Amino acid sequence: MLETDIGIKLENPFILASGILDENGYTVKRVLESGAGAAVTKSIGSSERRGFEPPVIYSDYNYTINAIGLSNPGIEDYGNEIKIALQAGKPVIGSIFAQTPEEFAGLARKMEGYGAYAIELNLSCPHVNGYGMEVGSDPELVSAIVSEVKSKVNIPVYAKLSPNTSDMMKQANAASKCDGYVLINTIKAMKIDINARMPVLSNIYGGLSGRSVKPVGIRYVYEVKKETGKNVIGVGGINTLEDVLEYIMAGASAVQIGSAVSSRGIALFSDLSLELEKYMEMNSISRVKDLVGVAIR
Amino acid sequence: MRYFTVSKNIREAENVNTLEFYDSINIIPGQFIMAWVPGVNQIPLSFSSTGSPKSITVKVYGDASAKIAGMKKGDRIFYEGPYGNGFNNIAGKKLVIGAGSGIAPLIPLIDDDTTGIISGKTAGDIILASKFNPDHLIIATDDGTAGRRGFATEAMREIDIESFDMIYACGPEVMLKAVFDYMKNRDVKCQFSLERSMKCGIGICDSCSINGFQVCHDGPVFTLEQLREMDEFGRTKLTYSGKRVFF
Ligand SMILES: Cc1cc2nc3c(=O)[nH]c(=O)nc-3n(C[C@H](O)[C@H](O)[C@H](O)COP(=O)(O)O)c2cc1C
Ligand code: FES
Repeated sequence: MLETDIGIKLENPFILASGILDENGYTVKRVLESGAGAAVTKSIGSSERRGFEPPVIYSDYNYTINAIGLSNPGIEDYGNEIKIALQAGKPVIGSIFAQTPEEFAGLARKMEGYGAYAIELNLSCPHVNGYGMEVGSDPELVSAIVSEVKSKVNIPVYAKLSPNTSDMMKQANAASKCDGYVLINTIKAMKIDINARMPVLSNIYGGLSGRSVKPVGIRYVYEVKKETGKNVIGVGGINTLEDVLEYIMAGASAVQIGSAVSSRGIALFSDLSLELEKYMEMNSISRVKDLVGVAIR
Repeated sequence: MRYFTVSKNIREAENVNTLEFYDSINIIPGQFIMAWVPGVNQIPLSFSSTGSPKSITVKVYGDASAKIAGMKKGDRIFYEGPYGNGFNNIAGKKLVIGAGSGIAPLIPLIDDDTTGIISGKTAGDIILASKFNPDHLIIATDDGTAGRRGFATEAMREIDIESFDMIYACGPEVMLKAVFDYMKNRDVKCQFSLERSMKCGIGICDSCSINGFQVCHDGPVFTLEQLREMDEFGRTKLTYSGKRVFF
């Protein structure tokens, strides 16, 4: 009943978002075993990267701002983590970040070799110079990256786009060769502590996520689904079943969840599955697909 | 960020200070805060007193701990937290085993019926010994400059560890592993407080994980039974970048 298809088949539409409890294979395995339909890995680059110095996260009830700085063990060491994660018997989606089309394609091939079910291109991290959003806001580069990666791997390729540029449709059109869009990544933001009279994050700027970004995510999922008709995976501020339904009705075929894992714990994946199932039964909906985009006008 | 206002700075040893403050925040022994030193760094710190006054005991490792150790009355300790599960503090006969500054979070557990083992590399590492009844305290140093020569496990051989209702241990993971190995086939109950590289403290970044569990959120306190299931314990750890390395 909860099955959904985003180019890969999922037993339920709930996916662990990139950067949340997914750097380590054992943790990904545990999250999948606790009920997530799939998991995206932390964004992995060509070499080991330390990231920024602490504080790298500020969080309260309404939002989280992070400037982890794309820390990761590097692609060479990541095969073992994927292997551990895949023991759960569910799809693992490899997230990658790089600067050039060739570098992206190299990382994607490695991920495919490790057994990843799909690739997620991080074209949208807002707080690291030279990566993410800076790559993602150049339409020609985005188009070249997607083409190059698509020509080198046989698994689905998703483009994770940034809400920080002035025109989302320009980015989406540039990435049109992809198999689906992941919307949205975090929004560039900052936090000042009024007693210390200082920005809290060592990097000053970070990416905003959590409850406060949901209306922005909904808007972009709606817009991109309406304009392109392609598969969209919704992400940003999902905490409750109502949030999930909003994203699905706006056009998402699956959703990713990040920040809410901190307050609700990893049990939230199975909890949301049960709640969605109940909702569908009560409303005589037999497939998730029948709800996707129903609000689009 | 919230903050504590320092009411007193007590020097425990060279490079170790206890900062006292009065605050109504509720803390379970073994929980920790992510203490922020603006413009410098952010580090996890646990409480060496959870009553009134409360205190943290900090050993100088880097710039942030040095700044905190040097704080004066009226200075502010900025923090997020408290985080983590904390110890299950039982009534009964207790043994606490701490290595180096790992003894600090065990101090709130001490009562009249508590025995202590404090270990360190050298005499200068032995702190907070005065909190124990001297008759119920064993000190061990690697170089023999204070107490017995040898590791904490050496000191454990001198007592009947099966006579305690609960054993609490805190310190570097290699030391905890040695204590674990000594106890794993005996009839004992034990709670271990682990230390791993932490970034968020709230269970989302995965930097502190051990076999899929988050030390910041599922721990830092784990039982003997839980650790038995974790083959990473004392064997592998994660660097700040997230790379798995062997101890
Ligand atoms: C601590 C943290 C780390 C993140 N790291 C990444 C990352 O490495 N790659 C990526 O594409 N997105 C990353 N994100 C963004 C999330 O995947 C997600 O797009 C965003 O947090 C919005 O979802 P949420 O509101 O459910 O958290 C990170 C978010 C957080 C909070
Ligand atoms: S410190 Fe981030 S998950 Fe534990």
